[in-house]
Amino acid sequence: MIVLKIKYHTLILTGILVTLLFLSPLVIPVYWVILLSEILIMGLMAVSFNLLLGYAGLLSFGQGAFFGLGAYTAALMLQAGYENLFLIFLAGILVAMLAALIVGFFSVRLDEIFFAMITLAFGMMFFSIAHNWRDVTGGSDGLPVFNLPNLQLFGLDLTFYSPISMYYLIFTTVLIALFLLWLVVHSPFGLILKATRENKQRVSFVGGNVRKLRIVAFTISGAFTGLAGVLFCLFNNMATPEFMHWSFSTKPIIMAIIGGTGSFFGPLFGAGIFFVLEQIIIRYTENWMFFLGIILVPVVLFFPQGVFGTLQNRFFKQRSK
Amino acid sequence: MSTGDVLQIKNLGHSYGKFKVIEDISLSIGKGEMSALIGPNGAGKTTFYNAISGKFPPTRGKVFLNGNDITGLPSYRVVDKGMCRSFQITNIFNDLSVIENVFSPLIIQQNKHFKLYGNIFNDQQINEKAMQTLEQVGLTDRADQVVANLAYGDKRLVEMAIVLAREPSVVLLDEPTAGMNPEETENMINLIKKLAKNSGTTFFITEHDMKVVFSLAEKIYVLHQGHLLACGNPQEIRANEQVQEAYLGRKVHA
Amino acid sequence: MDFLLLNILNGLSWGMLLFLIAVGLTTVFGVLGVLNFAHGSLFMLGAYLCMQVMQYFDSFWLGLLLGPLCAVIIGVLVEKYLLKRVYNRDVSFQLLLTFAILLILDDGVRMIWGSGYHVVDPPELLAGIMTIAGQDYPVYRLFLIVIGPVIGGILWSFFHFTKWGKIIRAASFDNIMAEGVGINVPLIYTLVFALGTWLAALGGALAAPQQSLVPSMGEKIIIESFIVVVIGGMGSFPGAFVGALLLGLLGSFGTMFAGQLQMAIPYLLLAAVLLIKPNGLFKKGV
Repeated sequence: MIVLKIKYHTLILTGILVTLLFLSPLVIPVYWVILLSEILIMGLMAVSFNLLLGYAGLLSFGQGAFFGLGAYTAALMLQAGYENLFLIFLAGILVAMLAALIVGFFSVRLDEIFFAMITLAFGMMFFSIAHNWRDVTGGSDGLPVFNLPNLQLFGLDLTFYSPISMYYLIFTTVLIALFLLWLVVHSPFGLILKATRENKQRVSFVGGNVRKLRIVAFTISGAFTGLAGVLFCLFNNMATPEFMHWSFSTKPIIMAIIGGTGSFFGPLFGAGIFFVLEQIIIRYTENWMFFLGIILVPVVLFFPQGVFGTLQNRFFKQRSK
Repeated sequence: MSTGDVLQIKNLGHSYGKFKVIEDISLSIGKGEMSALIGPNGAGKTTFYNAISGKFPPTRGKVFLNGNDITGLPSYRVVDKGMCRSFQITNIFNDLSVIENVFSPLIIQQNKHFKLYGNIFNDQQINEKAMQTLEQVGLTDRADQVVANLAYGDKRLVEMAIVLAREPSVVLLDEPTAGMNPEETENMINLIKKLAKNSGTTFFITEHDMKVVFSLAEKIYVLHQGHLLACGNPQEIRANEQVQEAYLGRKVHA
Repeated sequence: MDFLLLNILNGLSWGMLLFLIAVGLTTVFGVLGVLNFAHGSLFMLGAYLCMQVMQYFDSFWLGLLLGPLCAVIIGVLVEKYLLKRVYNRDVSFQLLLTFAILLILDDGVRMIWGSGYHVVDPPELLAGIMTIAGQDYPVYRLFLIVIGPVIGGILWSFFHFTKWGKIIRAASFDNIMAEGVGINVPLIYTLVFALGTWLAALGGALAAPQQSLVPSMGEKIIIESFIVVVIGGMGSFPGAFVGALLLGLLGSFGTMFAGQLQMAIPYLLLAAVLLIKPNGLFKKGV
């Protein structure tokens, strides 16, 4: 059966990818390990974002706010001297989740461009607060983090000052997060969410409360975006208001669409393509944004399913015509 | 108003601003009955359907389903209470497969739509139920196909399956044969007849095609300019002069 | 009292500029159905092109005339070769395409003119300072306050009294109908986008003597224009006018009342309007 075949392929490919990611720090230069860390973090953000765009059909322009909230929570706790990394992760997720619940509660009744605009508005409110509330957030300079606590796990005492150990912290966290998101996407909830994307009126006329479904999706997406923010704060030793600005919120959109919004891993690949292209292009020119624009145009016009989505369709799926 | 009535509508009315689209409609439909709502274009059929199915609350009047007041409930609550509807323009999940389309109402019915883990294809109960529903409408062989690739008639059947999946006590069908060719229409009529006979579900349909109406309905309600003009069995309606006038009058002008 | 007057004048001059940008954005949205992210970049491009023309001919007025026209050429190419392909696509693709155009224009300008500041002097006629009610005020800003309603009035007359204006209005309500009565809809789309580009670039050229030119100057104004357009009602001409004045005045008075949180006020307003009256304060239409 076709269904089984797809699963089989996906499983093997995922296994190969995870192994490669796990082993890569042993082979590739440290510079690329750092880059890979960033790809994983932004990839997590893009996959979380795509729960909204790809699965619920909602274009959020305010994801940066939740990323920033995760980052600021981590930075503030580290500055206050909290030593427990688990607690910091948990707090970052909870803060972002709560904010997403509130923003989602108001936003999800709107669709399309209106949804994009209201999430942009909420995101920029958070940006304004982060930018102007100097006493707490450090204003436009952001909040630096000087000390990274150790992690006691299985009798081991792990430090995260080397890029390699930081990579493994990020790798493990992102892996767990992606697995959880994968579960959500393939759950009954995930199917109904896709159904709301296809036809929200129909969902409502078979008994589904579309607003509640969307709020849950928005909250989950916000929570995982917050986790990505926590990771980025540890990785970058910094939380800045820029994370919350609308221009930062365009990053997951770009990554998701480059990679393909129709598949779970598309946005992750999109993040990879994004950063690798950036690395290649900035070797030759300062004007990376110009070339990003030049690349985006054909992607938008001719690859509606994104690079990964197009490849996947060509090789594995004969499902849709 | 007997106790066997599943759907009771009392003095229902709806206006947009000052314009009254439907007014003072009262009717009750008994369990297992097959009734039809007809009327010339613009008589208010779709507004009537929307007002009782929760698309928007009616401005006046009451709707009771199995004795429960469902007036003004949002659509998803109306479905929970046991009434499900189809639409004039096919309303399905285009990018999902046929069986996933049928899963959706079942997941919601079993309150699993907030379940964040587990694969629905492994849920035996829902799978069996979905296949049963597909069997009813004759789509079992197309279960894995993406709906967007189906022929028009099959898409209408998918919508039928979605509507029937939760075994509602009342099914509203808004022009179930709209846009179908004669053969598809014939099949749809037979399907509805079969379903009504086997399941005891109450059907309430609106239809343009008089042939369909007269071959299906036991009781016919005629809507004209927002008012209930007549009601009765097919023979009575055929013989009713007012009804003829309403339709013919239109035709002459058109 | 003087302080009040000063704030009103500042608010009005910024509001009028915003109106020129927003009215183009809202017309393009009303007819084409695309919210153009690159609209702010066309504003920026207008300012740079005006500066460039000025350097050749040493005349601000020629810059004001020719700069925006050069931008229109780019606008027409963008519509004919890129935007045209996404009219029936998902809103995320439309936004991302126009965002890509924003990136290309912003960074393209940076490649040509560098990322440093440029300054454009106001024309001699408008360079001085005037005294109003005992308050010194730059003449150029007063010029902006006057020119906004003048251009707005011309546009409004165009939409209401000329054949093409009426056709555009018809197309913004129902383009299928427009096609049915024999209107060349693709041509209308190109013309409307050209008009929108011209308005944005004209706004940029007018803004040039008043603010320093940087490649990112479009990014601030595009978000404010989004807010104006949504508040006023997407596709509404009077809405753009009222929204722009409201936002302009909020900008100058906000600092007085809200201090630190002044920056958040436009966004609060945007969210509030979307929640209470999602279609904006005015209904679609010119």
